[in-house]
Amino acid sequence: MSATLGKSTTLDESASLDKRPGARVGRPHAVWALPGVLFFTFFAIVPMALAFYLSFTRWDGLGDPQLVGLANWQKLLDDPRLTQSLWLTVSLTVASWVFQTVVALLLGVWAAGPQRNRAVLSAVFFVPLLLSSTAVALLFYALLDPNFGIIQKDTLGSSSGAFLAIVFVGGWQFIPFHTLIYQGGARQIPQVLYQAAAIDGAGRYRQFFSITLPQLRNTITTSTVLIVVGSLTYFETVLILTKGGPGTDTAILPYLMYEAGFKTYDFGYASAIASFLVLAATGLSLLLVRLSGFGTMRSTREGM
Amino acid sequence: MESNRGRSYSGRSGAGQATGGSPGNRAFSRRWVLGAGAASLLTTGLTACGSGSGAGGDSGTITAFVYGDDAVKVQQAGVSRFNKSAAAKKAGGKVELQKVPGSDYSPKLRTAMGSPSAPDVFFNWGGGSIKPYQEADKLVDLTDIIEDDPVLKDGFLPSVLAAGDLKGRHYGIPMRGMQPVILFYNKSVFAEHKLQPPTTWDQLLDNNAKLKKAKITPFALGGTDIWPDLMWLEYLVDRIGGPEVFRRIQDGDAEGWGDPAVLRAAELVKELVDDGAFGSKFTSVSYVNGGAPAVFAKGKAAMHLMGSWEYSTQLGKFPDFARKNLGWAAFPTVEDGTGDVRNVVGNPTNYWSINSRTRNKDLAIAFLRTCASEAYAKDLVDLGDVPTTSNAAELLSSAPNPEFARFQYDLVEKAPAFTLSWDQALGDGLGTKMHTEIGKLFAGQSSPSEFVAACKGLK
Amino acid sequence: MKTRPSDREESAPSRRHRHWTRRANPVAGLGSFLWLVVVIVPVYAMLSASLTGQDKALTGNPLKPPTSPTLDNYNTVLRSGFGHLLSNTAIVAVAVVGIVLVLSIPLAYVAVRTRNSWSNAALRLFLLGVAIPAQAVVVPLYLLIAKLDLYDTLLAVVLPTAAFAMPVSVLVLVGTLRDVSEDLYEAMALDGASPLRMLFQLTIPLAKGGISTVVIYAALQAWNGFLFPLIFTQSDGPRVLTLGLFNYVSQFGVNIPALLASVVLSGIPIFVVYLVARRALVGGLMGVGGK
Repeated sequence: MSATLGKSTTLDESASLDKRPGARVGRPHAVWALPGVLFFTFFAIVPMALAFYLSFTRWDGLGDPQLVGLANWQKLLDDPRLTQSLWLTVSLTVASWVFQTVVALLLGVWAAGPQRNRAVLSAVFFVPLLLSSTAVALLFYALLDPNFGIIQKDTLGSSSGAFLAIVFVGGWQFIPFHTLIYQGGARQIPQVLYQAAAIDGAGRYRQFFSITLPQLRNTITTSTVLIVVGSLTYFETVLILTKGGPGTDTAILPYLMYEAGFKTYDFGYASAIASFLVLAATGLSLLLVRLSGFGTMRSTREGM
Repeated sequence: MESNRGRSYSGRSGAGQATGGSPGNRAFSRRWVLGAGAASLLTTGLTACGSGSGAGGDSGTITAFVYGDDAVKVQQAGVSRFNKSAAAKKAGGKVELQKVPGSDYSPKLRTAMGSPSAPDVFFNWGGGSIKPYQEADKLVDLTDIIEDDPVLKDGFLPSVLAAGDLKGRHYGIPMRGMQPVILFYNKSVFAEHKLQPPTTWDQLLDNNAKLKKAKITPFALGGTDIWPDLMWLEYLVDRIGGPEVFRRIQDGDAEGWGDPAVLRAAELVKELVDDGAFGSKFTSVSYVNGGAPAVFAKGKAAMHLMGSWEYSTQLGKFPDFARKNLGWAAFPTVEDGTGDVRNVVGNPTNYWSINSRTRNKDLAIAFLRTCASEAYAKDLVDLGDVPTTSNAAELLSSAPNPEFARFQYDLVEKAPAFTLSWDQALGDGLGTKMHTEIGKLFAGQSSPSEFVAACKGLK
Repeated sequence: MKTRPSDREESAPSRRHRHWTRRANPVAGLGSFLWLVVVIVPVYAMLSASLTGQDKALTGNPLKPPTSPTLDNYNTVLRSGFGHLLSNTAIVAVAVVGIVLVLSIPLAYVAVRTRNSWSNAALRLFLLGVAIPAQAVVVPLYLLIAKLDLYDTLLAVVLPTAAFAMPVSVLVLVGTLRDVSEDLYEAMALDGASPLRMLFQLTIPLAKGGISTVVIYAALQAWNGFLFPLIFTQSDGPRVLTLGLFNYVSQFGVNIPALLASVVLSGIPIFVVYLVARRALVGGLMGVGGK
């Protein structure tokens, strides 16, 4: 099947299905989908619309929201903290992507190989996945305690230290997961390709760059989307490790929103930041889909 | 103390599970059962849930939110005493205490107050901290109740009762000890290096130099929490320009931040930070998690500018240190400053306020009256606190450290001015934004003049 | 491992592809070893510190093995209501998985089997949903939860968590359900099977892989969830594990051994799952990434 989730191809396909003999198979009524759609609409779509609405109001959480027009959006544009936060969020995402992709890709490809000890190692690599993000953040919070931890340095008190700590902690937790994805992807690469390359005299590194990487293109896309969406939403790591500090140097967008909403009780402004986050996340996802052909990837996957 | 708190916590939740008897649990499980159908019968499930009552469940039981730190056991004891008392039976119910972790007490209170499961009685700092609730008509005005009730009217020091007022009306009853900010020092470190508690800023700098030579951090500071940073500014501004400087800001004049005293105070802070007076790691040390108290108790830092609760915190975590080596002094004068050395900053005390939507106002008031009782005041004294009740002075001799209790009492009693902590005076919205600016100043991300400019722009 | 891995591969016909190289790769091996160290050191420090008495932990070197190991810290954590936190999280996880399965399977079934503008629109809705970060809606959700009088209940955590686990679940299921061949449906149609019977007797049994991925994904969302419990619950009653851990920061403070003991304990449930169902867990996780 080569259908993407887009409308045009799907319609073509159902048309072709109908032409086949014996296609009069009972099909479920569309109503079956209704509970799921309603549930999702109520708890995800409606709140999103509500966030957009609230971004035009002033609301302190106690009274009723009052419309104030574009005031919050104006404030958003003028807020130097937003600029800093946006820049931080982008840097964090890029740094996390580089760190997690490089390590996970190499580990995953290696783990897909036949090494004798990889089963044992894979089990150890798995350990961070046993822990929730909160637990992982807590672990490093304890280990990085400036006076009683393992690394008794001012790691979380310096801007670069805190930033790198967040990137590292995120990587420590999620690299095993992405390694699994790459391991799965690498196993799907037909062995023939390597045999053919070996006959042509291609060395190991040549094989890696001209066979493994191109063949893993779709896996890389999947993993990238997950990393990007994941980094946009790092929250507990920041809350537990740095509370956005030192100063405001690790206050990424989700944290800024949390602070505006649940520390200063300016829920209108928090909603403006949230709406901005949704717009940014959607834009970024669309961009990634465009650049990498996420749709294509899905269809190849479905073809397998 | 930790294990103590732990035990009572698990005891409570254990009982709730075993018998299903705790009202909070029952409400939750009822809703749970009702809600489990929500997957298939979404609307029905939600309507059923919506009809459930608030957190309390039974009409007789009221909930009280309290800041969950080491001092909470006094409230715990007070609640158990009250629940067994005739007054509780007469008002027909019980009080359930909910200990909210200190690090996010204010946001938890706010989100709960905005929901139907709001507490009936809640801990607060008076003044700015309850202003939004008063404006949203969520507080019981206690002025007339206090006026008509001799127990409440004569039970507390009038100045403390008034310190939490909003526009001359009472909304809270004092429920913890006085909390002036005090300069604590480690006696054995001071003795070892032949130091005296500083009475002037120059002496303080002189001490710092000697301590640093001995590789000891002069001051412990929980910089991640930021409010410990604030204490430095509060005292410096007071000593340099007097209490009027902040009074003007508190009254809503943001230009007050432009007073030269604020800039001078920020410059002194910057000098201290650059000089390493707080060590090199203070921006990642926390007070709330016990980091700063531990650094201080273990002798890694020689002094700690902190609220008077430092004593009970140390008594809880490092009892030997609290009993033998903890010293205390007033904040020193600053040369050419106009502020009186007897002035104090900090929190006069904490208050209980009553939610205007409480299910049982009589019960809530009866509970608040117990804060004036001798038994309650004695529990506070035993913990090392100085109560703000009228009978406090007589009880101090039984304090774990009568000397400290007496020092604290005199400090507050003789103070010409008691400036409320700036963040509490300004309220959560402005207070949090001010915290951000103070955090940047201490972290070296903004200069003193940038700090002043940023504060002027706070709205 | 007794047999040589390559032998094992050949004896397992289910795996179509053999691995791309048989030679050991020293550079990759070294890299993996380095990462192994990066993983092991914090884990070791955690285990070691959690067995150390608090006083020693404040003064000693956390990397040295504890001289007199003690389980006191675990006791402290267990006595502070850990079991209650764990059972709450378990309830949330089961409820989230249940809701997600009950709602997503019919949805994906319709999307794959009944192709019309309605089902296409529904699918697009969920495709859009993948990009919505849950954080972005926490303020309006709080408003909603408060109005529904669900504040401070487990349901306040369960419902939004389930909703936000749905987009990925639906997409994974749609992918899996498409692999069920039309011929099989036709064969069942000849027996006069209704769409409902087809779902239970054909689609679900054949979509086990996708379903187990969804189960694991949804359970992990519930297990990891932090923001919703943080904002929507407050008291001890509905407190879940992640929030409990967070509160331990102020409760235990620099009692780092107890803090780390709580982290260790929080990992045990998944560790048990890993021991019992390693294959399903690993396979499911791979499935989240699209296999």
